[in-house]
Amino acid sequence: MTSSRGRRVPRVWVPVLATLVIVVPLTWMWQSSRVPSAYSVMDMGYPDYGGGPQPSTSLAGHAGHGTLSHTGHTMAPITDLVTDPNRPADVRVDLTAASAGVHVGGREIAGFTLNGSTPGPTISAVQGQLVEVRLTNASVSDGVTLHWHGLDVPNAEDGVAGVTQDAVPVGAEFIYRFVADQVGTYWYHSHQISDPHVRGGLLGALVVHPRGERPSGPDVVAVAHTYGSTRTVNGRTGELRVAARPGETARLRVINTDNQPMPIWSDSAYRLVAIDGTDVHQPTMIESQRLLLTAGGRYDLEVAVPASGAARVQLSRATAVVVGSGRPSASVPPQPSSVLDLLSYGTPAALGFEPARAVRHFDYRIGRRPGFVKGRPGMFWTVNGHLYPHVPMYVVRKGEVVIMDIENRSGVVHPMHLHGHHVVVLSRNGVAATGSPWWVDSLNVDVDESYEIAFEANNPGIWMDHCHNLEHAADGMIAHLMYEGWDTPYRIGGPSRNQPE
Amino acid sequence: MRMVYKVLAYVVAGLVMVQAAAIAFAQFGLMAWIEQGGTLDAAAMQSDDVSFTGVAGYMIHGMFGEMVIPIVVLLLLISSFFARTTGAVKWALIVVVTTAVQVTLGLLADGAPALGILHGAGALVLFGSAIMAGMRAKATGAPAEDASTEPAAVPVS
Repeated sequence: MTSSRGRRVPRVWVPVLATLVIVVPLTWMWQSSRVPSAYSVMDMGYPDYGGGPQPSTSLAGHAGHGTLSHTGHTMAPITDLVTDPNRPADVRVDLTAASAGVHVGGREIAGFTLNGSTPGPTISAVQGQLVEVRLTNASVSDGVTLHWHGLDVPNAEDGVAGVTQDAVPVGAEFIYRFVADQVGTYWYHSHQISDPHVRGGLLGALVVHPRGERPSGPDVVAVAHTYGSTRTVNGRTGELRVAARPGETARLRVINTDNQPMPIWSDSAYRLVAIDGTDVHQPTMIESQRLLLTAGGRYDLEVAVPASGAARVQLSRATAVVVGSGRPSASVPPQPSSVLDLLSYGTPAALGFEPARAVRHFDYRIGRRPGFVKGRPGMFWTVNGHLYPHVPMYVVRKGEVVIMDIENRSGVVHPMHLHGHHVVVLSRNGVAATGSPWWVDSLNVDVDESYEIAFEANNPGIWMDHCHNLEHAADGMIAHLMYEGWDTPYRIGGPSRNQPE
Repeated sequence: MRMVYKVLAYVVAGLVMVQAAAIAFAQFGLMAWIEQGGTLDAAAMQSDDVSFTGVAGYMIHGMFGEMVIPIVVLLLLISSFFARTTGAVKWALIVVVTTAVQVTLGLLADGAPALGILHGAGALVLFGSAIMAGMRAKATGAPAEDASTEPAAVPVS
């Protein structure tokens, strides 16, 4: 009997053990993916020093004002990182955010407006002016913020709910102040629950003009946005007509506010004169190639109006900007199959810093695997093999030169956006850049591509480094760049229900 | 538990049929919509309200393929441990592996469309394995599910 019982015991337990082998790891994965109802980004994931010097203090200090970290060293709160409060504003803008029905293409969709319209008003400034924006939340129930996409503003003005401020609740206001030092085309959008907010139209353009006289030709902002399934330019379907005389040169500032890259092509020759606000050095004419503008990115094009008719610039198939006074060709010109390669466009120029001086070398490897994020099962994006919230916190010190290798093995394109900094592309798939310095704040990292980028760590604070396909970001494709010695008093979640993505 | 195993196996087969039906519905719906002047690009595809007959097929295919079927298949594997049917675990494992391959192919095919060929063929393999699993449970006969009434499989010495 003993031997019989001895052999029957395992028989009962084998299926139970086998079940535990499956269930226990799944439960553990589920449990470890859950996040508290309020947490600091400082507690997320793990510090990555990129081979550079490590701090002697704990990173997770948690600021009130000048709090002490666990080891007794002072961490300064990022709320100190503001524009000089004593300097008067040169440009004042009041923006009121509201939940509203948006009429697009004969339909109404649930969306948002700023001062009663979407896109919101274009903010214009001249280089060096101090811009002050008073954001009032009239009726956006989840709260709202404004992020100045592409402008390297002081950290406390960056508009990321739960990282640089609390979401602005209904009836409250928040004042943003920044000096418009960077000439070029930028945009602003809510960075609270950003995917539905941006989809719904909580966005607008921001243009910084150089000092001095402006060129005589038309200067046109073209905000491309898809409301529901309807593509628009500046909130309207179809064509945006721009009056211009033959021979004049128009500057088109194209902003892609969608989650996906957008093809751009024209029936006339054009030049790509600026990328993400930075001028291209000696751009050449583009004739039979199309451009691919990544999500969140901006291209400034110069188009000469032909002697007869008008130049037609397609922003995807569905929308176009038509520049000229003559009758435009009604039909969509064929989309060139070849895409302009920015790696070799224009001619080299000085970068202003030396990437070879880099003291940190980070990896941002994007993958995809099944698992749990915030307790939800599914297929999710990984950063360096880890699922959110176990993502790297890239740690730097002010003044350092940083190199980052971004690699996409996830099967889907990702528009990577680093807040507060502009990065320069050194190489793609191991091929060095040979054209104009290719400065970006939003980089299209296509499937199986790898980019080596470099930047100067010259803007202290805590900065998001995430995918600007905002649906992906909401699924956890977020990391942060943090400067040693800085902490945030804000929390994801909490009473303000901060949810940056 | 054998009945649970059997039902889950047939549920997997049924879900694979739903997958095939959903994707065909979506594909024909899309074709008809484009014929009638609809335009689709990446931004529209990701938006919440591209509306044509069959568009739900894409959503169903993605949700069932990435979530529902893997969960049911794991339950099938767990039930196989208790099913006490010769080959139950083996067939459940075949279903698990085939499902894993299918999910992987489905995701990779976004970047390498030729893998879609294998994904389509793999569906038939998965369907067949799930049916085989279900039929094994039937073929073995049906001793009572309660372990206490089941004859001991080991000789009593």
